[in-house]
Amino acid sequence: MGSGSRPVMLQRPDMPPAVAQPLTLDGVTHSYGGGLAVDNVTLEVKGGELVALLGPSGCGKTTLLRIVAGFIEQSNGKVIIGERPIDTLPPSRREIGIVFQNYALFPHMTVAQNIAYGLAARGESRKVQAERVAEMLAIVQLEAMADRKPRQLSGGQQQRVALARALAIRPRILLLDEPFAALDKNLRLDMQIEIKRLQRQFALTAIMVTHDQDEAMAIADRIAVMSQGRIEQVGTPTQVYDEPASLFVNGFLGTSNLLDGTVETAGPEGYGVALNAGTRWTVASSRKFAPGEPVTVSVRPEQMVLADEAGEGRFPVSVALSLPIGGELIHDVAGPAGTSLKIAAPRRPGVSSRSAEQAFCGLADHARPSLFARS
Amino acid sequence: MQRSTFSDITYKWAVGLLAGLGILILVGPVAIVIATSFTTSQTLRFPPPELSLRWYRELFDPVRSAQIHIAAWNSVWVAFCATAVGMVLSVLAALAVARVSRPSARLLEAGFLSPLVLPTLSYGLAALMFFSVMGIRPSLNLLIAGHLVVIAPFIFRTTLASLTQLDPGLLEASQSLGASRLYAFRRITLPLIAPGIAAGCFLAFISSMDNVPVSLFLSTARTGMLPIRMWGMMESTLDVRIAAIAGVLILATLVLMLVMDRLTGLTKRMSG
Repeated sequence: MGSGSRPVMLQRPDMPPAVAQPLTLDGVTHSYGGGLAVDNVTLEVKGGELVALLGPSGCGKTTLLRIVAGFIEQSNGKVIIGERPIDTLPPSRREIGIVFQNYALFPHMTVAQNIAYGLAARGESRKVQAERVAEMLAIVQLEAMADRKPRQLSGGQQQRVALARALAIRPRILLLDEPFAALDKNLRLDMQIEIKRLQRQFALTAIMVTHDQDEAMAIADRIAVMSQGRIEQVGTPTQVYDEPASLFVNGFLGTSNLLDGTVETAGPEGYGVALNAGTRWTVASSRKFAPGEPVTVSVRPEQMVLADEAGEGRFPVSVALSLPIGGELIHDVAGPAGTSLKIAAPRRPGVSSRSAEQAFCGLADHARPSLFARS
Repeated sequence: MQRSTFSDITYKWAVGLLAGLGILILVGPVAIVIATSFTTSQTLRFPPPELSLRWYRELFDPVRSAQIHIAAWNSVWVAFCATAVGMVLSVLAALAVARVSRPSARLLEAGFLSPLVLPTLSYGLAALMFFSVMGIRPSLNLLIAGHLVVIAPFIFRTTLASLTQLDPGLLEASQSLGASRLYAFRRITLPLIAPGIAAGCFLAFISSMDNVPVSLFLSTARTGMLPIRMWGMMESTLDVRIAAIAGVLILATLVLMLVMDRLTGLTKRMSG
């Protein structure tokens, strides 16, 4: 089908590509209907790395994925695989495997025919096709389903077929579009492990698009948090969770308590912040603040504690509600000046609520609150 | 057990009555014409005094019914050719219209479908005048061209409907797997819209077979068409063979319909 420059690795079905190729987005911009769907995104995905594009719907993550796939032509900027810009290549020449959100399996073909499709399109011999199909079926553990039609499979099985079909062409890059959105919650963890395993096994450079922070945290090597077409922060899952670069990232990943205050001092330990709630915390931050500057302190629920007595850095609160959720007890507490906070504490067996309504709230020993400028 | 209220019962009765009436009006004439075709009598009289295959024997007699046979083959040939050409043109048109989302595509769609609402009688007259001005003599090919205009929209409509139901993600998946457009069309698009095309061709063939208005203007004594022939016989002789022809047509349509259902049903099952 007019494709002269097939990579050599296709002739050797049992050899995954030896070196994973890096994928670089260089100033990619896409305007759409007057607005910017993707706004000057620069991102380098290292060879063999899985980066999650995480953000709310409409943040441009899917557009970015479709630009990489070649379904949308960007207005500006470059997409580079290895050393080579691929912007002029049509999708069929990009050697990119895609797992679509609804899997997009060919409904009139069997599982085996679906997996063989990319090879058949390249004019590979029936023997090569059959060998590769058998190999892929073994890898995704669906040998028994080879002759079934997609609609005869469960959601998880369909996704494994979609993966096998994408990987059968030995792609250089793997794109995953909301891969777990259509799966039952119980199945998600299994498939997350499966995808991670295959991505490692095939040494694939991968981009996953998701709006689910748990998915991103679970399988991504790094997370790029997107908002309004821009990347707000790129980092490892723990980095973006523990040291969010902006209030948006802070709010999008996990739950957090926001407390207003004012910077009083700047010292080697961190900034002394007087909270409106009526106490003083020392908060470390990589960002610069001047004394007198109004700030917002963000603390994760599990980094706060409830105590019976007052103490340094604690302020009085009243416990409105306690919810036992699995091994945790989540307290909804009301602080001074109308603040509402959530505090998560390990739950002792048999305990389902807190005895006293009045309590004092402070930072746990390991707490690492974040500091943001407040306008 | 749910208790039925008075309005439930009246509803049931009203709907049942209407359905019965509908079936009576639709099936009644068919039953009467079939019963009449088996008569022994010389005339189209209902009920038949006695039953026999007399008129079917007469109808299939190659000598006495030669004119009817010629007309029947003309009709089948014209329907077949018009459907075949219509299929190619309509599928291409539907593919083009489905791919474009601009308003101009909607305009084209309306244009392609317009023969469905055009009064066919006026079209028949217009076609006759047009072709005579052009100096083209009436022939079977002219009839094919005339029928083509009237029946192609059936195929266009069903094909377009199945194309709009086609998940565009499938074609993107095909592209990302390295397939060319042509390959994707052959292995993805065509198999998935085939039931729609087949259904449209069935409708088109049937509608060409019993088209009167266009044939009325474009056929001649030499290129007689079955419906026109039947009408002629009806006017002149009240020949019972007309009933026999109707019987054969009904049977043929029934068989064709079952075959169609089997085929498209099968493809539907295959395509999930």
